[in-house]
Amino acid sequence: MHISDGVLSFQVIATGWIIALILNAIILWRCKSRHDMAEEIPKISIMTGAFFVASLVHVSIGPTSVHLLLTGLLGVVLGIMAFPAMLVGLTLQAFLFQHGGITTIGINNVMMGIPALLAYLIFRYGYRKGINASVLGIICGALGVILSGIFLALMLITTGEEFTEIAYAIVVAHIPVMIIEGIITGSVVTFILKVRPELLPLDREV
Amino acid sequence: MDSLRIMKILVLIVMVLTMAMPAASAHRVYVQETITEVEIKAWFGGGDSMADAEVAVYAIKNGEEELYIEDKTDSDGLFYFTPKLGVSEYRVEVSESGHKSETTFALTGGATEDTAEAELPLEAKIGAGFGYIIGIAGIAMYLSVRKSKSE
Repeated sequence: MHISDGVLSFQVIATGWIIALILNAIILWRCKSRHDMAEEIPKISIMTGAFFVASLVHVSIGPTSVHLLLTGLLGVVLGIMAFPAMLVGLTLQAFLFQHGGITTIGINNVMMGIPALLAYLIFRYGYRKGINASVLGIICGALGVILSGIFLALMLITTGEEFTEIAYAIVVAHIPVMIIEGIITGSVVTFILKVRPELLPLDREV
Repeated sequence: MDSLRIMKILVLIVMVLTMAMPAASAHRVYVQETITEVEIKAWFGGGDSMADAEVAVYAIKNGEEELYIEDKTDSDGLFYFTPKLGVSEYRVEVSESGHKSETTFALTGGATEDTAEAELPLEAKIGAGFGYIIGIAGIAMYLSVRKSKSE
């Protein structure tokens, strides 16, 4: 789920870059001033690496070719740092794999980063309400994919596509990915909570 | 006198033969090749074909592009079109929900080079990507440690 060069108009691409850069700047500034980043960096690097190679895992079920995204997983495990981590991952994907375009790194960052942030907020809220973490992980993993699909459909409206039609097509094509990512996110969250619960960014004020 | 007779007979034979020869037509002839069908194949990285993707074919004549055909690929990611007479250069764009790629080619002028050959193998790219991530992590570590020391 990457947007390639030359699909979107200049205005949309520019807006994407502006939103992405502003959000990245705010997030990095907040993280720097709130907690000790040195402890977080290994975890962020591992997740960035996972995100970077995930797009190579193709799921050839259904009408089109889709690949893993890991938006929900990054959101739940990294918290708001998922957004800058995706910027790094997407840049490497664009240059090395030609997944998505170079001009569209900004808009792709918004398309996958904001669902990651939403997945994080939902996970944290649900966890505090005492909902089972494995179930929440499954929901957030699947939700990350659905929300990214909806964002993609929203961006494609600007090229003259019909929203409900394209959103439906994208979400249906990603059903296998949702199931896989729900399982991945659910099991990773369950594992981390058992082994090192302090790794999850749950007790933080954003 | 004998030689004169022989000459006369020879001339007569030549005349008869000339008349009997079929008339050679001296029209100018043209031979032009026509390629009746061009096959376009579109696929995703990893080998899955792009089925039902939108195809736009632009004919390039004297450096000017003109939209020639708009259609969709079939279930195997293939699309066939008949070239416009006299136009040998085309640009083909294939797009499907946010994915887009294009190719420019000329029907004359031999085979197009295979771009996939010149690329790094996938394993090397993955290795390069992880190298970058480790490098960025190292820089971030360095910056955060320096910050905490100065505090």
